[in-house]
Amino acid sequence: MRTTIVIGAGLSGLMGALALAEAGLRPLLLAKGQGATHWTAGTIDVWGADERSPREAVQAIRASQSYHPYALIGVHAVEEAIARFRALTEASRYPYVGGLERNVPLPTAAGALRPAALMPVTMAAGDMRLGGDVLIAGFRELRDFYPPFIAANLAAQGIAARGMYLTLPPAFRRREYTTITFARMFDDPAFRSEIGRQLRAHRGNASRIGLPAVLGLRDPLGAVAHLQNESGAQVFEIPTLPPSVPGIRLFTLFQNAIEQAGGRLQIGSEVIRGEGQDRHLTTIWSEAAARQQAHRVERALLATGGIAGGGIRADHTGIVRETALDLPVRAPASRADWFAPRFLDPQGHAIYAAGVAADARLRPLGADGEIVYENVAVAGATLAGADTVRERSRSGVALATGWAAGRILAGLVS
Amino acid sequence: MRTLTTDVLVIGGGATGAGALRDLALRSIRCALVEKGDLTHGTTGRYHGLLHSGGRYVVKDPQSAEECARENEILRKIMPHCIEETGGLFVVTPADDESYAERFVAACRRTGVWVEEIPVREALRREPLLNPRIKRAFAVRDGAADSFLATHANVEDARRYGAQVLTYHRVIGLERVGDRIIGAVCEDLRSGETVRIHASFIINATGAWAGKIAAMAGMQINVVPGKGTMIAMNHRIVNTVVNRCKMPADGDIIVPIHTVAVLGTTDIAVPDPDVYDITPEEVRLILDEGECLVPGVSRMRALRAWAGVRPLYREQDVGNDRDIPRTYKLLDHETRDGVAGIVSIVGGKWTTYRLMAEHTVDLVAQRLGVTTPCRTADLPIEPWHDGAASAPRSSARSRFAILASPFYMLGHRLAEVEADDSYGDLICECELVTRAHLEAAIRTDGTANLDDLRRDTRLGMGPCQGGFCTYRAAAIWHELRNGVAPVAHAPPATALIRHFLQERWKGVTPTLWGDQLRQERLNELNYLETLAIDRLPEAGRDTIAQGRDYVIEEVV
Repeated sequence: MRTTIVIGAGLSGLMGALALAEAGLRPLLLAKGQGATHWTAGTIDVWGADERSPREAVQAIRASQSYHPYALIGVHAVEEAIARFRALTEASRYPYVGGLERNVPLPTAAGALRPAALMPVTMAAGDMRLGGDVLIAGFRELRDFYPPFIAANLAAQGIAARGMYLTLPPAFRRREYTTITFARMFDDPAFRSEIGRQLRAHRGNASRIGLPAVLGLRDPLGAVAHLQNESGAQVFEIPTLPPSVPGIRLFTLFQNAIEQAGGRLQIGSEVIRGEGQDRHLTTIWSEAAARQQAHRVERALLATGGIAGGGIRADHTGIVRETALDLPVRAPASRADWFAPRFLDPQGHAIYAAGVAADARLRPLGADGEIVYENVAVAGATLAGADTVRERSRSGVALATGWAAGRILAGLVS
Repeated sequence: MRTLTTDVLVIGGGATGAGALRDLALRSIRCALVEKGDLTHGTTGRYHGLLHSGGRYVVKDPQSAEECARENEILRKIMPHCIEETGGLFVVTPADDESYAERFVAACRRTGVWVEEIPVREALRREPLLNPRIKRAFAVRDGAADSFLATHANVEDARRYGAQVLTYHRVIGLERVGDRIIGAVCEDLRSGETVRIHASFIINATGAWAGKIAAMAGMQINVVPGKGTMIAMNHRIVNTVVNRCKMPADGDIIVPIHTVAVLGTTDIAVPDPDVYDITPEEVRLILDEGECLVPGVSRMRALRAWAGVRPLYREQDVGNDRDIPRTYKLLDHETRDGVAGIVSIVGGKWTTYRLMAEHTVDLVAQRLGVTTPCRTADLPIEPWHDGAASAPRSSARSRFAILASPFYMLGHRLAEVEADDSYGDLICECELVTRAHLEAAIRTDGTANLDDLRRDTRLGMGPCQGGFCTYRAAAIWHELRNGVAPVAHAPPATALIRHFLQERWKGVTPTLWGDQLRQERLNELNYLETLAIDRLPEAGRDTIAQGRDYVIEEVV
């Protein structure tokens, strides 16, 4: 029986499950559905709120924001997590590049420059500090990628960019198009050859070509190499709105690694409550077909996400709850304090920093600062203390706290 | 400075102004309309969408009830494509005074409002979510009206007869010579240009803003802007309009309209029709009252809240806003204030807009010596399809019976998508807005921002509240207006995105919790994390003004 339980299948749950599996604890990962991987760009953003390097920012945070998830685990844990992640992606032949030394400005599907610490190698040539002409190319059939708009915004920032639409070969016409439809097309070498020929014909002076991040699910590196050969230019991916193809690749990579290390993933099993005594979580229940299934627990990693993931939920009376284990939540005292009047307020909206407070071993804390469960560690967006979307640290926090939580629960951190 | 001459100038692009414009045009009177925003930008675009049977006012305001009952039948005849025949119910809940029902039925008979009592069991069969403890139920001829579409349809029809329409033209002064108004001075908000309009007569159809226009000619009109707040639920919790059978009060009605159901309303006097907000107490009140009709409604998913300001006309002091009659009032300033050349039409309901227009234009025509009678009660309005007028009518469409119905039916859009096989072209999946719809609306003269597109197409009005379509619509807008050639400056489309997101934010925050809060956080992930629109270069106000295409006012 598997008694090491991970709750949640986002980046933090996956990273935690990997750490626990590699420690030989055969974790069972339970999740209500797919996690944030499928909704987000697939880069690792450690810190992007200001011009500091990610390492500097993480190092400094302990002094300024002691409740911040990075402050709880420290810069060393962040470095360790990044190193393990890089090794994992290399071994899986979908390497991520970059690190904590500096952010790379990558173009978005709106033509903004977004700072990322690590990115899949398929996006690396999108580094907008590199010079030269850039061609942005896409398909009219794809609703979530508009080359002229992207290029216009890049041009307004001094980048020599041009946008164009490619022609979908008749044999590949479908009734409906999503990012996934296109990713499957790019898995087909015949499609890539045709698109590569069009890119060569239209690339002009461009030394680099940006395409929507749909360049295949099976072998994206092969797809990029193939397109580069055909077009004669460097090719890079630009993340799109969900569903995210790079995110799906990332999830698949983790799933394989966790299963190979003895773990198991059970998506579609929502954890609805837990029970414990003497500061020890003993049992959790998940929704199963027509019944609730009990799981005996020796150790549990809670990584159900925040407001977006559904791990934290707020109701119309202003009560904010943690949904899986009903842990105490730190949140603004009243609904009146939840929101700023402007959607784009740089400080963000206070409700999004709501979550579970934790100690340095990521154990959940009550309002009085007492540990609720000794054998539970909390990770990712479920943790209180930061609006990681405004900080542009969401995936970095998820990765680092997920890894730290797994290592702590495995007894590998003193 | 531009100068324009017309016979009658209508100020106000809401239902009444549009109705008056069509009425004038049909009587072959040369006419023009100015509106400071987009058509339906004011109260018309911010109401729940109820086509009154008259039932609501039978006891309290019988004249208004009679007018509603008559106009209801006329509107069904002249613009069925703007109306969904939902039917209506008045139900006696356990919280209501049971003796009101008898007075209600008697008053319906007196005022000519069609009513029929139906068994409670039958009412619950029609509306399964209705409170099972209701005591009596009465069927009436309420309906749901698309006020955006209806206003556009009136205006388009008027244009066919030669009327001129100037949106985003704000009246900044009235020109007065002695005791006569001879025209208006406007500011074109897109170019900043001043436009002088000479007119023999002016119709002030500005609703809650009527006092502001009258003041420009030194006259006083006591219009009380009565703020009514509404909440849209994410699906049709009822398919029939459901009213509480009691004296009209706060939060006593649910109107199913298109894909949503609207809970309404409150009534709070506000000092200025441009300055108001929605309080948490109002939201709470509407949800609590809604519980009497549909138990559990406060735990369902609310999309957004908004408010409109009723143009309540107060001749003298009355105690309470709800006591001000809902009937309309035509103010002849020549006899009232000694100022010729201008009339004001105030008060009234959306349902009676046509009657108000008729009454107003009758007076104006008489003053101008025109004897042609009003034709708006008999002459149907040409259907004007929300932005897709140019969409090809494929033969495949004939297979879909729903598309042949003269009335709007829920499922109309889905049938169009199925007939045209345009699944892949959905830009707004929530409201089934296709690329063809959207492009036609963007090309429409006068469209100045994404919120205008919303009124034209329902873009961004569904559960995700613009989470995906804001970006798509702005990028398509950029391509249509700029082409694919590179531009030297930051594209104004970025400002369109920010403006629309802020407009949506203002509407969602009063009802943001549970699943809708989750949705909103996903929208943040989209716009901040994935697209980083906060880091896009700002399009300067100059660029926006030079474009003469965009009007982006601050939304807070």
